[in-house]
Amino acid sequence: MQVVLLFTMVMGLLLIGTPIAVALGLSSIIFLLAFSDTSLASVAQSLYQAMEGHYTLLAIPFFILASSFMSTGGVAKRIIRFSIACVGHLRGGLAIAGVFACMIFAALSGSSPATVVAIGTIVIAAMKQAGYTKEFAAGVICNAGTLGILIPPSIVMVVYASATDVSVGRMFLAGVIPGLLAGFMLMVTIYVMAIVRDMPKGEWRGFGEIGASFLDALWGLMLIVIIMVGIYGIPGLTGAIFTPTEAAAVASVYAFVVAVFVYRDMGPLAARDGQGRKSLLQRPQALVTALFHRDTRNTLLDAARLTVMLMFIIANALILKHVLTDEQIPQSIARAMLDAGFGPIMFLVVVNVILLIGGQFMEPSGLIVIVAPLVFPIAIQLGIDPIHLGIIMVVNMEIGMITPPVGLNLFVTSGVAGMSMMAVVRAALPFLAVLFVFLIIVTYVPWLSTWLPTSRMGPEIITN
Amino acid sequence: SCEDGEIVVKFAHVVNATGHPKGVAADTLAGRVNDEMNGTMCMEVFPNSTLYDDDQVLEAMLQGDVQLAAPSLSKFETFTKVFRIFDLPFMFKNVDAVDAFQTSETGQAMKDSMQRRGLQGLQFWHNGMKQFSANVPLVSPADAQGLKFRVQPSDVLVAQMEALGASPQPMAFSEVYGALQTGVVDGQENTWSNIWGQKFFEVQDGTTETNHGIIDYLVVASVDWLDSLDPAVRDQFLTILEEVTVAGNAAVGDLDAQARQSILDAGGVIRELSDEERQAWVDVMKPVWEQFEGDVGADNIAAAQEINASM
Amino acid sequence: MSGQTDAAVSPLGRFVNALEEMVIAYILAAMTVITFVNVVLRYVFNHTILWGLEVTTILFAWLVLLGISYGFKRTAHLGVDAILNIVGPGPKRVMVLLSALACLVYGGLLMKGAWDYWAPFAGYQRTEGRIIPTGFDDRTRDQAFYHTEQVPVPFGGEFLAERFNMGESYDKLPRFIPYFVLPFGVALMLFRIIQATIGVLAGRRDSLIVSHEAEDAVAEARMAEN
Ligand code: NA
Ligand code: NA
Repeated sequence: MQVVLLFTMVMGLLLIGTPIAVALGLSSIIFLLAFSDTSLASVAQSLYQAMEGHYTLLAIPFFILASSFMSTGGVAKRIIRFSIACVGHLRGGLAIAGVFACMIFAALSGSSPATVVAIGTIVIAAMKQAGYTKEFAAGVICNAGTLGILIPPSIVMVVYASATDVSVGRMFLAGVIPGLLAGFMLMVTIYVMAIVRDMPKGEWRGFGEIGASFLDALWGLMLIVIIMVGIYGIPGLTGAIFTPTEAAAVASVYAFVVAVFVYRDMGPLAARDGQGRKSLLQRPQALVTALFHRDTRNTLLDAARLTVMLMFIIANALILKHVLTDEQIPQSIARAMLDAGFGPIMFLVVVNVILLIGGQFMEPSGLIVIVAPLVFPIAIQLGIDPIHLGIIMVVNMEIGMITPPVGLNLFVTSGVAGMSMMAVVRAALPFLAVLFVFLIIVTYVPWLSTWLPTSRMGPEIITN
Repeated sequence: SCEDGEIVVKFAHVVNATGHPKGVAADTLAGRVNDEMNGTMCMEVFPNSTLYDDDQVLEAMLQGDVQLAAPSLSKFETFTKVFRIFDLPFMFKNVDAVDAFQTSETGQAMKDSMQRRGLQGLQFWHNGMKQFSANVPLVSPADAQGLKFRVQPSDVLVAQMEALGASPQPMAFSEVYGALQTGVVDGQENTWSNIWGQKFFEVQDGTTETNHGIIDYLVVASVDWLDSLDPAVRDQFLTILEEVTVAGNAAVGDLDAQARQSILDAGGVIRELSDEERQAWVDVMKPVWEQFEGDVGADNIAAAQEINASM
Repeated sequence: MSGQTDAAVSPLGRFVNALEEMVIAYILAAMTVITFVNVVLRYVFNHTILWGLEVTTILFAWLVLLGISYGFKRTAHLGVDAILNIVGPGPKRVMVLLSALACLVYGGLLMKGAWDYWAPFAGYQRTEGRIIPTGFDDRTRDQAFYHTEQVPVPFGGEFLAERFNMGESYDKLPRFIPYFVLPFGVALMLFRIIQATIGVLAGRRDSLIVSHEAEDAVAEARMAEN
């Protein structure tokens, strides 16, 4: 009963336009003051420790920063050129290339909106020029962008791992096959639609263009290799070099170096004032000035701002989680569900419904922080693999990102495409159906999520 | 949940409610308190760091937001340095020696060492003796040279690894399995029940039975909270706690042996050391004592060694 | 992302803007560099900066807690504007004022919590009262002895010991230093919330949450590209 009150308060505050973080935090504080004798100081402690005490969450600022350097530093546009060279000649090829580019960028970036911005800004405009409708282009990118959190690395997976104490590395591996499958399903759907509606196709530019564009994009694509080798090692050659969290920091440094010193699309060596790119030999002082150059500072600031926005929500979601734990709510919900005689299937259906509804209003990371600790213990009791549960949650979050009223990808796409949000919602609808089918497949075929991590890292141990 | 008028005792810890000596003892304690002190006192246990982890729980205790905790002894560094004696390598022969030392007058006095900072030690709870594991066979101390070992962030343990010529790496406990498996770090030190419970043996070449140190917990409460209790209530509570402690600590040896056997049954490798081989480890690591004699107290070390010799 | 801003025309305003942006940008840079350096040290030199991890997580807390107020200033925090966008201007104003009130209450309560949490670590007294401070609690136990796990004291150790720890020297950096960002950051946040509320009352702002964030985010991404 008290819980209903708590969630009603959160909803009420959200709907009148209170910042999500404040809606979560204020409701928790009021609940705490009314129903327990815990002090306000403990709320402040939770707020601070959300950052200082959660080492895994450090991956969030680092992956965001890496993403910023890659999209401003010219990695995204080189990936798009490569994608078009590969599949642009098919019917609906530019759209398929857009999905392909989103998949590649997703393998570099941990966030979905970042993927939409990086790829969408270029691809949607190009598609319109090539004769596609704006709606179709927006729908494709809006959906394909959600792969940003399913294909590793992924901020949402980091948050799930942090909330449930499963291994981040394992979650990342688990996302590979479902990510590829979802991308493939989207591409097939587009291909079929393209044939039915007779959409344009690009010209085949030959293997030379594939090779050239691949080489041009190589520095960016190398990052995928660096992250994967760094986290998992090469059997027989080297052990792993860093943890998934550290991988994100290494990725940021690498992306900075590639953007500023190799591609030179930003920073002191970039082309400006009618002059071409400078080489490091012409301007050796760039080694130092690059760190403080306006472009570097702006990229850092963008990443810092996004980090603050997300972490303000996550930190307050952690306060709410603390309150729920303090009042032993997860236990009573678990008891209720088990008493009701839920089996694994019924349970997963309920989890999907909760997440789908929650995903309409909440930002994914905040929602996961709250829901994961509630359902995790029940899932373990029912013998559901925690990694499988994690992937189901991520896919639900993908759907939440493209459904109104709160859908980060909708917001970003409407901006990128210059369309009203409702128009984007309609445009995204056919592909939303694809994601729904995909969710059902992922829910009922645990193998898709668990095979790769289990074969690479052995069975998951439940320590929580 | 608790009824109105009952004294609520929140006990926050960081391990599983089942299968770990501390988790089991915490649940036993809560069961007995809620049964025998029904109407007066009500204990709620929060396992698995769900409420606080060991770094936050002492702050929360001083703030009055949690009443009972049992962090490992290395978490009290900032309150007192005397517990460093339990981290010093080869200070105690076995868990019995640890137990005898803790129940001696010297050990009992240590529980009061943090009073001026607001904490009262109540009971020591055992986990067990520490062993080394790594991704290469460890027989002589030279085998550990140049390896990266995950340690708890404590000055003594850092010094111990440096004495071995190994590189100490602080790392969140939840990341250790993955880091050992992929080779981000090479080895770690832990008790049999943790090595079994966290399945570290799966991703290591083997575990070497060094018994070089101890992992122990101290059940603590804040001085202010204890003072606020009615003396009769406090005594009843402390008596139950003592009985649970005695029974729990007595059972730790069995749990330890079980965990060790389970590792063998699961195909894990355990290397036993001959007396000479073990002595080589002692020779390399024992010099660390000198470095921390000032913190721990020479007389305390002497008392520990006297008990050790009598075992 | 930036939403509406109070145009910072005065030199002081511009300076404060630049300072805030500089601080959060380079805290993030420092976190990245420390983590990266530690990876290199470990893999190449088999060495590690022991305090690296702890300092990084502390900087993470600083980044976010200092950034929250900046987010309120730039109206950058996320929210649900679906209903705000469909109701008329009258009801919208009421809703926005109500949510401003919610933010004020949140900031106020958190301010008390932040002080109560931090004060004992610096040897100050907590406030009395459960919700509203009613004075200082002279039974507060001094916790100035409480230090971080691994962070060394870079300088001023003697001064800190004399001023805060009754002459007992610190082995490690006392916790009240990293924790200071909590009352400081929350105070800044409260200040920005008050400013925003005044802005709403005066009709200079029409919401506390970012709206049409997409356009702005994209505009910014484009600007960064050019
Ligand atoms: Na990704
Ligand atoms: Na949604």
